[in-house]
This record gives sequence, C-alpha cells and structure tokens, in this order.
Amino acid sequence: MDTTNITNGIGKSQERREDFRFLTGAGSYIDDMNLDGQAYATVLRSPEAHADVSSIDITEALALDGVLAIITGEDWKVAGYNPIPTKSAVRKAIDGSDLKEPPHHPLAIDRVRYVGQPVALVVAESIDVCKDAMELIDVDYDSLPSVSHQSEAIKDGAPQIWDIAPNNICLDFELGDQKAQKKAFSEADHIVTLNLVNNRVTAVPIEPRGALASYDAGTGKYTLWNASQNIHAGRDTIADAVLGIGKENLHHIAPDVGGGFGVKNGVYPEPILILHATKLLERPVKWFNDRSESFLSDTHGRDQVSTVQLALDKDGTFRGLRTETVGNLGAFCATVGPFTPTGGSSRTQGGPYRFDAIYYTAIAPFTNTCPLDPYRGAGRPEGSYQMDRIIDYAAAQLGMDPIELRRKNLIPTEDLPMKSPMGLDIDCGNFPEVFEQTIAMSDRDGYDARVQKSAAAGKKRGFGISMYLECTGGGPKEEAKVSFREDGKIDLSVGSSSTGMGHETAFAQILAGHLGLEIDDVVFRQADTEATAIGGGHGGSRGLEVGGSAVLQTSREIVEAGKKIAAHKFDVDADKVEFSEGHFHVPGSNHTMTMREAIDAQNDPDMLPDDMEPGALNISSVFERGIISIPNGGHAVEVEVDPETGTIKVDGYWVMDDFGTIINPMLADGQVMGGVAQGLGQALMENIVYDDGGQLVTGSLMDYAMPRADDMPRMVIGYYEDAPTAKNLLGVKGAGEAGCVGAPPAIVNAVCDALKDFGVHHIDMPLTPERVWRAIEDAKAS
Amino acid sequence: MPLITVHVNGVETTKEVEPRTLLSTFIREELKLTGTHVGCDTSQCGACVVSIDGKTIKSCASFAWQFDGAKIQTIEGLANGTELHPMQEAFRTHHGLQCGFCTPGMVMTAVALVENNPDISENGIREGLEGNICRCTGYQNIIDAVKTGAKAMRG
Ligand code: FES
Ligand code: FES
Repeated sequence: MDTTNITNGIGKSQERREDFRFLTGAGSYIDDMNLDGQAYATVLRSPEAHADVSSIDITEALALDGVLAIITGEDWKVAGYNPIPTKSAVRKAIDGSDLKEPPHHPLAIDRVRYVGQPVALVVAESIDVCKDAMELIDVDYDSLPSVSHQSEAIKDGAPQIWDIAPNNICLDFELGDQKAQKKAFSEADHIVTLNLVNNRVTAVPIEPRGALASYDAGTGKYTLWNASQNIHAGRDTIADAVLGIGKENLHHIAPDVGGGFGVKNGVYPEPILILHATKLLERPVKWFNDRSESFLSDTHGRDQVSTVQLALDKDGTFRGLRTETVGNLGAFCATVGPFTPTGGSSRTQGGPYRFDAIYYTAIAPFTNTCPLDPYRGAGRPEGSYQMDRIIDYAAAQLGMDPIELRRKNLIPTEDLPMKSPMGLDIDCGNFPEVFEQTIAMSDRDGYDARVQKSAAAGKKRGFGISMYLECTGGGPKEEAKVSFREDGKIDLSVGSSSTGMGHETAFAQILAGHLGLEIDDVVFRQADTEATAIGGGHGGSRGLEVGGSAVLQTSREIVEAGKKIAAHKFDVDADKVEFSEGHFHVPGSNHTMTMREAIDAQNDPDMLPDDMEPGALNISSVFERGIISIPNGGHAVEVEVDPETGTIKVDGYWVMDDFGTIINPMLADGQVMGGVAQGLGQALMENIVYDDGGQLVTGSLMDYAMPRADDMPRMVIGYYEDAPTAKNLLGVKGAGEAGCVGAPPAIVNAVCDALKDFGVHHIDMPLTPERVWRAIEDAKAS
Repeated sequence: MPLITVHVNGVETTKEVEPRTLLSTFIREELKLTGTHVGCDTSQCGACVVSIDGKTIKSCASFAWQFDGAKIQTIEGLANGTELHPMQEAFRTHHGLQCGFCTPGMVMTAVALVENNPDISENGIREGLEGNICRCTGYQNIIDAVKTGAKAMRG
C-alpha cells in the first residue's frame, strides 16, 4: 500500500482537543447523564461461590416505599430471552468437538456460580431506596462445594460447575508442529524447564461500569448509553442474540468513557437488565457500579499457570520451545473469554526469536470465580512473559549471558518477511537493531558504578531486558464518514472508540492534515450506532491501524472527488489535477483552487461536472485490514532491591518501540507509559486473590494494590521508525497494548538479576516485598 | 433534614440534605457539578478531591452536612471562563490526562500541593499525589505537568 504522500498532520504532537472539556469538569460520562423521570437500579449479587438458590422472597422489599420493580431469575426465565453468547474466535477443542458453552443469563437461574453473580435487579426512585430494598430481599442459598483455582478444577473429583463440561474443561487447544518440536528437543544439547504463574489481575478503569437505558413505547425503540468500548458489536449481541428485539431497535451510544483497557469490551448482564426494566416501567433506568462491585463483576484478566521449556544448543542457539498452559475462564464463557488462553496466548509464542519449532497447548477450564476476558494485551503479555522469562532462567541455569543469548537468537532482518512457527505474518521490522538501540539508550556505561553504590548501601542492583513481539487484533473493518456543513464545520464520525486514547485529536489530525483544513473545524463523533453503520470499537490496539486508516481512506476519496470539481472549473481532465497542501492545481499552469473552495462548490450544481451530484464530497468509506500488524520492541529496566525487606525500587526504565509510523508522538508516549504502569503493577503488586471457598479476598482498592505516582520510575521512550508496515494505509503498528506486554518480563528479569548471588532465579508475580524476602531466605536456607 | 449553606465556586447555595448524603453526592446530584468524580468507595482513588477553605479533601469520605458555611472549590471553579488555570493548561500541554476521569481530582490536588509548597520537588509531587490513582497515564506526564504548572503559578 502507498504509505507515502501522507501530508502534514502526521508526526506532530498536536495537543488534544478533548482536554479542555476534561480539564474543566465538563466531560460527560455515564454517571453525569440523567433523563427526566429516571429510575435507578442496583444489582443484588451472590455472596456464595457455588450454591443452589432454593428461594428468593422479595415481598418485603417490594412493599418498600419507592421500589418500582424487582426482577429475579424466575422473571428472566418467564421472559424467555436467550443467554449472552461468547464470541470467542477459537470454538473447537483439539478433537474437533465444540467448546462447552454454558448458558450465561444476566441473572442467576436456580444456581449461582461465583461471588458477585447478579441474582436480582432492584429498580427504585433513588439509589438509597434500591440499597434499602436489597437488604430486605431474602435469598435462600444451599451451598455446594466450589473450586477457585484452575489447577484444582481440572483434577478428577473436583466440584463440577457445569454438567456439559466434565473436569470443568471448556476446551483444550494446540498450535504448532509437535513432531518438529520433539525432534528439535531430541537434537538440542539442553532443555530448560520453568514453571510460572501469570497472576490474575483486573483493569480497574477509574470510571466504574454504568449504563442508562430508555424506551420509546411509540416507536418500540430502545436507547442505551453505556460505558462500553464496543458499541456496534455490543448492540448486535444485546439486541439480536439476547433480547431478540432487532438491532435496528437499539440505539447504542458510548459517551465519554473513563478508561477501559479491555474490561469494557464485553457484553455484561447489567445493561441488558436495565433495558428490560426500562420497557417494563416505561421510564429511563440508570445503573452504576460502585468500586467494590467492579472488583466482583468486571471481568478479570491473565491467570495462567504454565510450564515453559526451551531447547537450546551448547553455543546458545535456540532450537525449540514448548509451552503448556492452564488458563482460567471463571464461571462462564465471557465475550472473548475462551480465546485468550488459547489462540490469544499462542500466536506470539517464541517472540522475535528464531526457532526450528514451537508447540503450544492450553486447557481452558471453568472455576467458581468471576469470568475472565481480555485485559490490555489479552494473551500476548502471557506469551511474552513465558518467552522472555525462560531466556533469563536458562541463562542462569547454563551460565550464559542473557544479553548475548538474545543477541544470538533474534530473527535477522534478512529473514523478513516470514511466517513464524505459530503462523504469524511478520512482514517487517529490525529486531537486532531495536535490541541494540534499547541497550544503547539504557546507560550501560554508568551501570557498574551504580551497582557499587547500591552495594555500599546494602542493596542489590539488577538489570533486565525483554524483547516483545506482539500482534494487533480486534474488528478488521472500520467506517469513517465525513460531511461538510455550510458553516464550515466538518463532521467526522468513526466507528472505533476512544476511552482516553485521543481519537478526537488523532483522527481529526489525519483528516484535517490530509485535506489542508483546520483541525478546530472538525466535529468528532464516535461510538454511536446511528453515527456510523459499522464500528469495530476498541480492542487489540486497532484504533489507528483500522480507524485511522479509514479516516485516511475517506480523506483520499474526498481529494479524488475534489479533483473532479477542480478539473471542471479549470476545464481540464481530472487526471491533470494534483493536490498538495490544501490546494488543487495543474502543473505548468496557474490554475489553483483550495479544498475549501471545492467544498463550497460541492453544493452548487453549476460548479459540478455532469456526473456529480451535490454533496459529492460528503463521503463515507470503509477500510478493511487484511492482516494484523506486528508491533515489537525492547524494554530495559534497572531495579534496586533491599534484601533485608524485599522491597524493590524500579530505578530506570527504557523502551524502544517499533510502531511503524508515529502519527502523534505525544499520544504514543502516553500509551506506552500507561501500559508500562499496568505491566509494572502486574509484576510488582497487583493480584486478584480468591480463597478456597471462592470469596474474593482483594475486593477493594485497600486490598488490590495499584501503582501510584511514587511507584513509577521515569521512563525514557524511543521509536524505531524505519519499518512502517504496508498492512494498513498509515504504516502504523498498534501502540495501545505494547507497554504492558514488555514490562512484566523485563522487570522480573531485572529483579532476578539483582538476586542471582543469592541463587534466586525465579519468583512468581507479583513480586511483593514478602515474596522477594521469602525467596531470598529460602535460597539462603537451601 | 439538616439545612446547609455553602459557597461553591463563589456562589452561595442553601439546601436541605439527608444526614447520609455524602459531600460528593451533594456536589454531583444536588449542585449538578459533575466534574467531581467518584471512582471508589474506600476513599482511595482521589477522583473526588475538592478544595474546602483552601484545603483538599476527598469529598466521598465526608457527609455534606459537615460543611455548613464552608467555601468549596470544585474543578468547575478553577478556570476563568475559557482561560484555563495554569495547572490545567500544564496538564494539557504535557498530555497529563487520557480518559480524564481522574483528572479533576488530580488537578485539584496538584493546585493545593503547589499552593502549599511553590518549590515542590519531583519526589514531593510523587508523594503528594499518593492519594490519587490514574490508570491511564503512568503518571510521568502528570508529574511534568505539575512541575510546569508550579512554575507558572510562581509567576
Ligand atoms: S471517590 Fe473519593 S477517593 Fe475514590
Ligand atoms: S486519565 Fe484516565 S485515570 Fe487518569
């Protein structure tokens, strides 16, 4: 594809247009919206991990002044709606049988299967009345044995969560060539094995989930404002698959959304419940989670228990990789749930390193816990962690240098383009160069002195690196619609959605830059099923790659149409007309027409050629990505560990990313830094813990640690821009998730490097002071 | 129900409040100033920070009736029309916000930090923002924004 001729607007750190509104408190998030006559809803959630619901008595609650309705599983059964389907792209087990998909109704019917599962919806005149009414609902639970951990769930004799899923297994999965892997292993000099855990975490966008629903009895149409990242797909699932009301009858809109990171991507029970309630009561209904409910009911992420094996020769050459993982789906198949530990974690196995063969297998079991779904990276952080941890672990076992081991095994540029052993289409990049640049930027010269200084203070300093390779994803299609208003404003509607990534700026920058118009005139609309016919939402770092490409494609079509208008005016053939810097002109002549003049001419039939209708520059175009792009890069980290207390200070952080073309470096930096913070959180402190009885131990921000300003190091970020991809019009490789893919292995590698003299070569995340201290003490004792 | 009078962003208001109404709820629902956000229920996130008589507090952690007679400043009261406060301006220049949800609390906290310590160091800023969680930015641009904002506020 032609990635040249992208005119101004690209590569500039344009300040964000949305910021004035956010900085002055004028943003409009779900909880800021209210409709006349609105009622409020809250959700009564299960306190039991696994239990039969023998009865629900709502009499007293219903009698409470101000209570409008209470909806239970019984009502849901009577209403006859369908369950919420999973959209997992992987649907077959290894033996070809279908994945086991239990019915996921928005309300528990007869049995609850995780703490936090919705049991009833209470609708009342105020939130306070809702809460009082919930106290009065009397539910009888007959407790059943439960299982919280995946390793237990797949054992014979474990409590069975669904009859259709023996041993609680939803599906198993394999990818790669097992025979070739076995051959590589049998020929290699060494096989190093590492068991590791990718800890369960959750996204915690600072805005909790919420929605507001209304129903127009006259037209039979519903409107749902929803703090969602995936409006069009969500509409199709909710309206067509679950409620059966027809998607044309559901107008689905996301207003400003306060962060998502994947957790607002799926279809959840509560918005469906309030759609039912708004029709029942013929009143708008608003629901909003509080933070404790979010911990119980926002999907969780990661949670894999894996065995990784690396086969390598004496000289350090990698031969084969074998990964076996057990994921965790929670109690149901969430929207993408079964895909993450299977397809999601498999594709980037092996990272940017050369292998003869790779073989990956996974099991995806159910447990009595909150469902799991994508969280920023969705499988790629797990894959990257497996790969870059085993390198450092093998280096420690075999007395090799982890930097040299990487240098030796990175895929050389001459091998590109290539298909990876996992089938990934790696079209371009320069892994050795990115690696060297990562090392070069990380101040290695001063390192020894810093080690001495730490040692003098009784501390241990360590350095770690990871070379991540990831792939983008999400919906492949996007629509960008442009229309020019008489007053000079330009309406731009795009189907992808931003939950903080700055599309309102970046997309407007592409359009205005390409057309040579003022960015301030662009009026942006997103995440609205009536603004664009299709929309892929957010997810898989697709925003620029697909949404941005759609905007560029529409911009180009506008230029082509504009050339015809200019040619008509100049009385020349359209192919004689060129466009640059906002002007149509004919080389060798003094004909010139601005884009603005062409726009003004588009409604005047006299100014148009015969084959053009008025409004011909108002164009909507759909871009469809063929193949996903391959962002890659290096993370380098320096840490200082206090062996007396186990505390870790991350003292230096360097990132070199290959995101292809950089549209707005300021926004790209923001994505990387936010992603690194989430990766650091996972590596050092974040952990969702269920006890053996299925109770969530980390149910609030007091128990679930998240990075604060003083936990973060200063990050230095660079870009390798010499390998734009031809897979999309902008040459970009999605930037949204890379930070949290590269960070955990680099940080854990650095800590293990710091502790190598103690003989500590692996600690499972999160590396809390207690875990680090114990690892040191255990190593000393043995 | 207690009757309270408050001066919010320079405007005096008298309203009845239920004893259990939180200050954050009062500001959002009664005064319709929805810039003050609520991100948690354990006074951890700082999205709800407002300034009362010159001192910042987490408005989700107190009852409205406690503030009878108080001067309250919310994020809506910081800019002068379309002219942003230097701290707001610095957040914009440094890309110190992404989704914007933590932002009102961050900015209110930052302004108070600098008012109390105009020469605040980077470490001082990092520690001073301990009570405000941002999930989007990784904090670096927020820190840089506060430094620039501090400089501008010093004049
Ligand atoms: S809402 Fe007040 S601290 Fe979180
Ligand atoms: S900008 Fe989103 S939480 Fe801070």
